[in-house]
Amino acid sequence: MTSRRRFLRDASLAVVGAAAVERTSLAALPDAASRSDASTAKPLAPPNGRPYRPVATLNGWTLPWRMRNGVKEFHLVAEPVVREIAPGMQANLWGYNGQSPGPTIEVVEGDRVRLYVTNRLPEATSVHWHGQRLPNGMDGVAGLNQRAIAPGQTYVYEFEAKRPGTFMYHPHADEMMQMAMGLMGFWVTHPKDPSFMPVDRDYVFLINAYAIDPGTRTPRVNEMTDFNLWTWNSRAFPGIDPLVARQGDRVRIRIGNLTMTNHPIHLHGHEFKVTGTDGGWVPPTAQWPEVTTDVAVGQMRAIEFDATEPGDWALHCHKSHHTMNPMGHDVPTMLGVNQREIAKKITRIIPDYMAMGETGASMNGMEMPIPENTLPMMTGTGPYGPIEMGGMFTTLKVRQDLPRDSYRDPGWYRAPRGTVASPWQGSTSALPSTHRPPASAGKTGVKS
Amino acid sequence: MTSAHLSPMTAAVSTSLTRNATASRAHRRVAYTARRARRTPLVIAAIATLALSGCATFSDDGGFAPVADATQQRLGKSAVWARDDAASQALAKQRDDLLARPLDMDTAVQLTLLNHRGLQATYAELGIAEASLVQAGRLPNPRFTFQRVQGGGDVGIERTWGIDFVRVLTMPLASRVEARRFAQVQAQVTQAIVAQATLTRRAWIDAVAAQERVQILEQTSLATQAASELADGMARAGNFSAMRRTQENLVYADTAARLARAREQASAAREQLARQMGLWGQQLSFTLPQRLPALPATRPASADAEALAIRERADVRAARAALDATASDLGLTRVTRFVNVLDTAYRDNSATGSASERGYEISLEVPLFDWGSTRIAGAEARYRQSIDHLADTAVAARADVRTRRAQTLAAWDIAEHYRTTLLPMRQRVSDEWLLRYNGMLASVFDLLTDAREQRDTVLGYIDATSDYWLADAAFRESLGGGMPESSLSRSPTEATAPVASPASTAPSAPATPPGAPPATSPAAPPATSQPASSHQAQRHGGGA
Repeated sequence: MTSRRRFLRDASLAVVGAAAVERTSLAALPDAASRSDASTAKPLAPPNGRPYRPVATLNGWTLPWRMRNGVKEFHLVAEPVVREIAPGMQANLWGYNGQSPGPTIEVVEGDRVRLYVTNRLPEATSVHWHGQRLPNGMDGVAGLNQRAIAPGQTYVYEFEAKRPGTFMYHPHADEMMQMAMGLMGFWVTHPKDPSFMPVDRDYVFLINAYAIDPGTRTPRVNEMTDFNLWTWNSRAFPGIDPLVARQGDRVRIRIGNLTMTNHPIHLHGHEFKVTGTDGGWVPPTAQWPEVTTDVAVGQMRAIEFDATEPGDWALHCHKSHHTMNPMGHDVPTMLGVNQREIAKKITRIIPDYMAMGETGASMNGMEMPIPENTLPMMTGTGPYGPIEMGGMFTTLKVRQDLPRDSYRDPGWYRAPRGTVASPWQGSTSALPSTHRPPASAGKTGVKS
Repeated sequence: MTSAHLSPMTAAVSTSLTRNATASRAHRRVAYTARRARRTPLVIAAIATLALSGCATFSDDGGFAPVADATQQRLGKSAVWARDDAASQALAKQRDDLLARPLDMDTAVQLTLLNHRGLQATYAELGIAEASLVQAGRLPNPRFTFQRVQGGGDVGIERTWGIDFVRVLTMPLASRVEARRFAQVQAQVTQAIVAQATLTRRAWIDAVAAQERVQILEQTSLATQAASELADGMARAGNFSAMRRTQENLVYADTAARLARAREQASAAREQLARQMGLWGQQLSFTLPQRLPALPATRPASADAEALAIRERADVRAARAALDATASDLGLTRVTRFVNVLDTAYRDNSATGSASERGYEISLEVPLFDWGSTRIAGAEARYRQSIDHLADTAVAARADVRTRRAQTLAAWDIAEHYRTTLLPMRQRVSDEWLLRYNGMLASVFDLLTDAREQRDTVLGYIDATSDYWLADAAFRESLGGGMPESSLSRSPTEATAPVASPASTAPSAPATPPGAPPATSPAAPPATSQPASSHQAQRHGGGA
């Protein structure tokens, strides 16, 4: 319980802290690098310390560090940010160092890591280093392992990155609300041995979800289930960059789930193996071949495959409503309802009205004005027309001629002649006959 | 007719009476020659006719010109009194011309002035009053009576040549009274015209507003009908439950009831307007504009309203006329205290065997001195009373005008709030619904429900606009029918769509548009303040 005296003391400390952080203390701290661009940054090659192949953070970046007396020092600043969820829609979120999610922290197994955390949020926070083996007092659960970081204060965490693998970091103070605001980040601890399970491309992203009502910018932080923006690294299709690979590359995709539901991540065109879980690397004999792997709440998964098949392959969450942007959940089904006559009446009252939904929800590429700062429910145009997707959807682009270190979008795949599905041009008599079971067969079929 | 004309005539009549008349007592038989009796009234008649010539004739227009002038000045409309069939036919032609186009408020008032039979009946009062006036200015017809009494061998013959002599004496006074009465009737007729014009205005506003409400409810009905039919389709396709479907059907059925009620009210309002314009039969097919006139673009100032009301209001004018009359009465007593006889006749009695007696009698009921001073004191008190009454009437009139003006301004503010704020906001909501519908964030039922809910705002706007025009009509009436110059110079804007048309784009900012005048309080005090009224009343009274 906070007494009045204690409150006053904390408050004054907070004020002193804020000023100190800006003027003196921060001078001794590593730079708090910041980035506002939502594009995928080039992987950050390690300038010092043990060597490793850096990861590519989807629509994100890796936080630079300062090596000081053999300790890697990072500086995270928790602060309100404006994040472009996709072109045409910005969200008022909370993040680290100018972005939500925060920058990826990359260290090597055995590194001594010191993390300064400055709180520029209006409320206290803390950082939990999800999945790490570390001293109990560094685990970041406010109240349990440490005092919460008051606004304006800077805390320092220090531990050894003992186990290689895939991790996350997120607040453990007012957790639900702060994560609903997008306060989270990715962590990769590379193996000490660079030849251990090497890959050519190592992509990472966090799965997150928001409830941002059409026409608004700030998430409804008290929403528990009814989210309408399903994002990877706080980006929704068509705002998510493609994952690119040179044909034959060994590709790893690391995924962390900080939403409140599970996500079956599905890759087209390739089978992959789940090579990493929350606890570390999976022995080759235990790796399951999959085309879809479910990432449960709070879990991390690493999947690997050889990108052998050239083309633009969909990569998405297989919950179909997670590949949708905001939609009216109370909109009744119009399927099968002839609206022609009624539409005439309605246009007399609402001239801009256009009947929709009679044959399905497809807009057939039609663009209509929608509320400001709102993404279309499904959108995107590919080489063959509307893609009609949203949310957790992007592509894996495998190209033969891609330069080894290039992460640039190579554009749409040009399929060789005769390898694209196309309308049947011949006569229908040439088609194989369609066999329908007799009417009675259905009933017996149900019984059998 | 003025007293300047009357005085010499009075003197002439008095002189002739003194010289020619012989005093006689009632019922006394006097031997007399008929020849002489015949001559005397002729002399008087000749003198009187000479004196009065030019004063006691009928005017060409029955005294309607001042009324028509006042009507033109106050209402800007021409009033016509149809006094014969040709005039009636001309009026009917004018009426039919006016009925050929949609009737705006002004045309409705004009039509009323031309066509309302009640008003025409009121105009006839002028004719009646003028007849009295003319009669008062003419010599009374002489009376001749002959009586023969036979009894006891005695034959008595009584012949009387009579003239309403006091009437001759008081003819100037009577003319003055009748002239005053005639002016009063003219004022009353003018007032009746103003009152009828106000009734027509009110009826017109009610009728057009009721018609607008019907239009809105028809739109609403269309929206609910579409929702209802769509719900039927949804149920057939297996997308709606019976409950959901019936809910939509219910809303439509409810709207139908509202629409029927609104239509009945519009029909009644239209009948009321027809009655106020005096229309019937085929004339009833007149058309009204779709909408009420747009609000004046700027807040009506009407700073000089009180002054105008003091000048023009019927009650103030009546009080002033009463004061004039009382003042005049004070002068009247100086004359009538010498002649306080209501009726006297020149008598010429004759009986066989008696000397002829001639003469006249004037009865003086009250001794001159006491009677006169008493009358004067009373008249003066009444005069003072009239001054106070005029002052009181003026104060009340000013208060009435201020109240009406405040009501008009408040009504304007409310209607303007609807126009510049509520309607654009309402439109914005509808636009947002459409955007949500486009984004599949809302359903067509949301759109239709919104269209239905627009109704309340638009009906509120119609009410507010109608309230403004009703307040304006009442304000005009409180000013005696006219409008102050400051208010007449305003220019009404193009009729903006009062019915929120979803097609129109809403202003991006639902605030007061730039260039709108800063809203001043409707309760702002008028430029001229209260104490002027008593001055004006006093000054007027003193000058009578």
